[in-house]
Amino acid sequence: MVRHPDTPVTGRAAVLRRLARWCLTPLPAPPVALRRGPLRPGRFRSRLRSTRLASQLGVALGVAFGICFATGLLSHLIQHPPGWFWWPARPVGLYRFTQGLHVATGLASVPLLGAKLWSVYPRLFSWPPARSIAHAAERASTGLLVAAALFLLVSGVLNISRWYAPMPFFFTAGHYWVAWLAVGGLLVHIGVHLPAVRAALARPMAPEPRQDGLDRRALLGGVAAASGLITLTTVGQTIRPLAGLAVLAPRHPDVGPQGLPVNRTAAGAGVRAAALDPAYRLWVTGPVRSVSLDLAALYRLPQYRADLPIACVEGWSAVGTWTGVRLGDLVALVGADPRRSTALVESLQVGGRYRACTVPPEYVGDPLTLVALRLGGEPLHIDHGYPARLIAPNRPGVLQTKWISRITVAGTP
Amino acid sequence: MKTRAGLVAGGCLLMAYAVGGALTDADVAPGGVLLFLAAVLVGHDVVWMATVLAVGAALTRVPPRCRSTLRAAAITAAAVTVVGLPLALGFGRSADNASVLPLPYGRNLVAVLLAVAGTTLLACVVRRRATADRKESERPAEDRP
Repeated sequence: MVRHPDTPVTGRAAVLRRLARWCLTPLPAPPVALRRGPLRPGRFRSRLRSTRLASQLGVALGVAFGICFATGLLSHLIQHPPGWFWWPARPVGLYRFTQGLHVATGLASVPLLGAKLWSVYPRLFSWPPARSIAHAAERASTGLLVAAALFLLVSGVLNISRWYAPMPFFFTAGHYWVAWLAVGGLLVHIGVHLPAVRAALARPMAPEPRQDGLDRRALLGGVAAASGLITLTTVGQTIRPLAGLAVLAPRHPDVGPQGLPVNRTAAGAGVRAAALDPAYRLWVTGPVRSVSLDLAALYRLPQYRADLPIACVEGWSAVGTWTGVRLGDLVALVGADPRRSTALVESLQVGGRYRACTVPPEYVGDPLTLVALRLGGEPLHIDHGYPARLIAPNRPGVLQTKWISRITVAGTP
Repeated sequence: MKTRAGLVAGGCLLMAYAVGGALTDADVAPGGVLLFLAAVLVGHDVVWMATVLAVGAALTRVPPRCRSTLRAAAITAAAVTVVGLPLALGFGRSADNASVLPLPYGRNLVAVLLAVAGTTLLACVVRRRATADRKESERPAEDRP
């Protein structure tokens, strides 16, 4: 059977076809007199740039950004869990791994992104600037992708350097939404360029000659060396055996009060006086009863030890030996079943984004989840949360609430 | 074709989700985010790339046998500087928190860059000697002393 070539198209298909034709209709060429400076042909002479090089760098960058997006999204979900999300208490160091990977991959992407943008830079000045509406839209989306990718890496580097003045927005929220923008732009980019990338990545039949003193493999080697050097000089902030090499790491896992780094100090949180007040009491409120415990009463409860990491969203982590009361024991004290209870843990802080956290049942019932009173055998340093802080396995540091004043248990007896 | 259309459509949806999410998130200052997006784009495409192209052009004047090594070294030095400079400038240091930026990053960055320079120099010397040895071995035997 032969289908009639001029089958009449009606309805939605016709509208779509008309729209596609309109989008692809050539736009009038701009005056040639405007083709000046970098817009002139032959302005970029390096013969090293090629679709194959851009494709190889693009694939590597796509993998790196994919890792960053997945681990970053995971961190966001752990901190702002929707109803369907579940995050286990074990393995103890899983979050430490995923967030360390997020930051390390982001840093290693810096030379990759630089090389990728260099490899396609002449396309910024392609002539005519827009051949059609569709071409203009594709170029606009590429511009957004480039801006978003630069935004993510620059803001990430500034964040781990704790230099917030150049960023006129709240880092966490801006970084999160621009990551979605970058991934969307990346999918569009892949969709548009997929055939060219596939063709370019097909193995060439003949070896490529060296050009301009640097061949493609040497350039890729240079980029890999740069990524490797950045990783080597920073990743020791979370991989303890490499700490000695981490000369450019924003944190050192051994430096801080009691040999552990601190993100927010008691003075910075405005809790110093309240934390040192001899009248301090921890209030625990449950479905059956409430108790108020001073520090001596907390020490009289059974004490347990846990070796757990503080894993910061900024990518550093360090293990401490914590001693204190099991959160589950405190929950049982007010008449609730730890395995079926959720605890709202509040700090002495009167404000701030991280003054309280919710601890789900799988953490409340975990024997490693402590209201810690000691670190390394000594009472907690005030910057580590004296008189009492939460420490639980496999959680971001911002959810390990310090200077605990109140625990409210929602659960069943 | 269906895969490509799916990727483009999915990507457009994600970008729309990002814009919608940013506009409805009370923690986001859209003007600030837009300003930073524009600043990094212009800063890269105008200032950074102009510098990179100027350095690349300057490197074409060095002898070809060292050019490849020098370019790889320049890439490494530039990337390490991007990561290390905000640390070295030290604006993130905190008076009451010695665990933040605890290292002498300026000195460390210079040390890393010197190590890159030293490795590059060594590689150039090794390559020069290898080239000289190869030329020597390619000379006809009767020419040798």
